[in-house]
Order: sequence, then structure tokens, then C-alpha cells
Amino acid sequence: MEQNVELLVAEVLQVPPATITDELTMQDIDVWDSLKHMELIVSLEEKFGLQLSFEEIVTMQSVANIKRVLKERGALS
Amino acid sequence: MELRGKKVIVTGGVRGLGRAMVEQLVSKGAVLTVFDLDTAGLAELVKSGVNGFECDVSNYERVVETTDRYHQEFGAADVLINNAGILYSEPLIKFTGSSVERHDPATWNKVMAADLNSVFYMTTCVVEKMITTRTRGVIVNISSVSASGNPGQSAYSAAKAGVNALTAVWAKELGPMGIRVVAIAPGFTDTDSTREALSEPVLRETTKRVPLRRLGKPEEIAHGVISMLENDFFNGKVFELDGGLVI
Repeated sequence: MEQNVELLVAEVLQVPPATITDELTMQDIDVWDSLKHMELIVSLEEKFGLQLSFEEIVTMQSVANIKRVLKERGALS
Repeated sequence: MELRGKKVIVTGGVRGLGRAMVEQLVSKGAVLTVFDLDTAGLAELVKSGVNGFECDVSNYERVVETTDRYHQEFGAADVLINNAGILYSEPLIKFTGSSVERHDPATWNKVMAADLNSVFYMTTCVVEKMITTRTRGVIVNISSVSASGNPGQSAYSAAKAGVNALTAVWAKELGPMGIRVVAIAPGFTDTDSTREALSEPVLRETTKRVPLRRLGKPEEIAHGVISMLENDFFNGKVFELDGGLVI
């Protein structure tokens, strides 16, 4: 399931899946801007069938934090 | 969007088109708040159960302060109708006796502040709260048939063309978060501000150019706004409601 998150992030940011690591943050790549972040959040919500709070959206600015929030919400094991 | 119980802000809702929108939205069960400069008019509206906030929406600091107060009292709005503005005509060059006079830059700035800056100020403040509360709201911008370029209305036409552009930009930016942004471009409508801005002969001539040979009624424009709000697939477009008039 974690791999699904990475693939989805790569698809939204339109970067090779190999570049997506847990350490990757919004600050690391230009394409991950505020507009892409919104798109990513909506894609995650659709994929995992949940609605994220604003606090969670603000937290999810790295791949590791995306996975952590999804685990906390029970969407990832 | 089902309008019953929805929190709606209408700027410039004391009279004219805004007032017609307020009345129709109240009849649909929405919870109305009007931002307006007309304190006496607001006081009258408040008596009928509409909430009123005095605000000059062309002043950013006032908009920030007033929307903050609104959000503290009501939370995020579901709908913002950017209706406040001024209808103003002035040619680029005026012939005055034996010489000519340029369009006054002060009136240009005044119209841009009232008709374009206000839309930006209100929307950024209201949408910020929608985003932080994950409210799937709607922004309605009031454009004009003049957006396509009405001679004698440099500032007004430019401001309304800007409103159309913002509608398209914001629909694309905010659509993924479930926020729709739409605009309505009324043709010449029978309101006090139209009669104040256009002389009777100009108005008569304009009316002749409308295929339906009449001015629009405020309630017809308000009905158009309700239709856009209720249709959840209408987004990023300008609804031209002008009796078929082409400028």
C-alpha cells in the first residue's frame, strides 16, 4: 500500500516514481507547489476514500508525513 | 447546491441587483449577510432578519477586519457574491470646447478599486476560510456585458474583463478543492445605478440595441445567480444574461 502512495505522488507531480522517497518534501522539488499540493490532497482523498482536515493537509508536506497521516487515519497499514 | 441553510455573503446587497439577490436567496432559505457602505440601508435590512456588516470592500484592511468578524460569528461562508461595484462612464479622450481632456486617472483608479480590487480582496479572505474548514463553497462574481469592451467605459470594461479572467483562474485553482467560481454578465438592467450612470437618451438608444427591446429586471439577474448556485456542474464560466445584446 505504501508503494501506491509513492506511485500516486509521482503521478500527480509528474516525476519518475524512483524519485519519490520518504525524505522527499515540498521544498525539495519545484513542481510540488501549492497548486500541486491541492491536487495531491484531492487525489489522496479520492484514492483512500477520506476527507483530510486542514491541519492534516498542512502537515502532509513530505512523503513520510503523507504516509504517517494516512496510517493515523487507518488508510494505510 | 441546496440553498436552504447555506451561509451567503452578498457585497453591495442593500439596493439594486444585490438587493434582488438577497430577497430571492432569503426566499430559498439561505442565511444572508450583506456587506455594504450604506449604514441606513443595512439597518433596514437587519430588521428583516438579514445580517449586516458595514464595509468598504475596496479597502483591503477593512475587508480583512470585517471578514474576520464575520468568520468569528458565523464560521466559513458557503457562498460569496461579489456584487458591490460602481457603474461609471468616461471616454478615453473628452472633447471640451476647443481642446481635449484625458480620462482622469483618479476615476480610473476609483473604478478599478471598486469593481476589481474588491473582488480580489473579498475572495481571498473568504476562500481562505473555506479552504481551512474544507467548505465546498461557491464564489459568484458579477461581471457585465461591458467586459467585451463598451465604448466610453474604459475603466468599467477593463475591471469587468478582469473579473472574467479571475473567474477562470480561480475556477481552475480551487476546483480540485470543491470550490466553484462562476460569473454572471448582466446586460443593461433597470436599476437606480444604471439610471444614474446613463442619460435618458443613451438609455433609450441602448434599449433599442437589445433584441428584446427592453432592459433586464433585477429579479431576472437574481434568478440567473440562483440557477448558477443550484447547478453544481456550472464552473469557471460567465453566464451572459443580457436579452441577446451584443456590444
